[in-house]
Amino acid sequence: MELTDANLIARVIVEDDQHAFGELVRRHQSSVRGLLRQLTRTDIALADDLAQEAFLRAYKNIRSFRGEAKFSTWLYRIAYNCFREDARRRKELVGIDDAQWESESDPQAADPALRHDLMYALSLLPLHERTAILLCCQNGLSHEEAARVLDIPLGTVKTNVLRGREKLKRALAAWGSS
Amino acid sequence: MEEIIQEDPLDEQLREAMPYIDDGGFTLRVLRHLPSPRRPRQSLRAVILLGTTLLASVLGYVLSENGRFVRVIIERLATMPMLGVFALALISGMLLTALGLLAAMAESHES
Repeated sequence: MELTDANLIARVIVEDDQHAFGELVRRHQSSVRGLLRQLTRTDIALADDLAQEAFLRAYKNIRSFRGEAKFSTWLYRIAYNCFREDARRRKELVGIDDAQWESESDPQAADPALRHDLMYALSLLPLHERTAILLCCQNGLSHEEAARVLDIPLGTVKTNVLRGREKLKRALAAWGSS
Repeated sequence: MEEIIQEDPLDEQLREAMPYIDDGGFTLRVLRHLPSPRRPRQSLRAVILLGTTLLASVLGYVLSENGRFVRVIIERLATMPMLGVFALALISGMLLTALGLLAAMAESHES
């Protein structure tokens, strides 16, 4: 019988069982790495480094996981925080402001072959809308869960999802007619 | 109450656009960077057990009129029939073996 996430977490907490933690990583690595790849605009190496950092933080802080939210939601929150911290460091190095950074286009996605691609359209969204879309529409989190992950008000998440969806639909429709 | 997000064809497209990412050694890399697992402090455990044993022995000696019970037990053993001494030795041996086995099993489970 396959152990649940809760069973594995209990093993990690009580017995410091690293094999159990390895199983948790195996189960959630795809969604966490996928989220970070989208947030970093397909910078795979950076996304994987951030995912590794997120899992290491999860291991160190697993005793603070109370089981009030799903384990995956808790992981997304840690991963998102890793991404934000890394982005803040980069912004400080480059010296651009928040508005510039959030609306910045992806230079790697400028390939004309990808113009009609849904993921390209997603990468053009501002960060706050892109993140909300990724969590709610792609990873299936509820608005409440996404608000917890992003640490922003519920209404803001709803607005960001709505606006992001509209922009994506407009982009896809425009490309479809051209 | 958790709000159920209405299914949208766009959501389906987005989910399909994100394929499963193969592990490709990622989990192993994470496990390699984990801190060493906590080991029980064996030396502390031994000190506690030894200390408790010594304390109990001293207390037993003092409270029994300077070890009078030891003399009494030796006298009893000396006058005990041979079969009784043999049974006592057998039971003690079996008890120690069982304890040793339990300790070995616990140790192999930990490692």
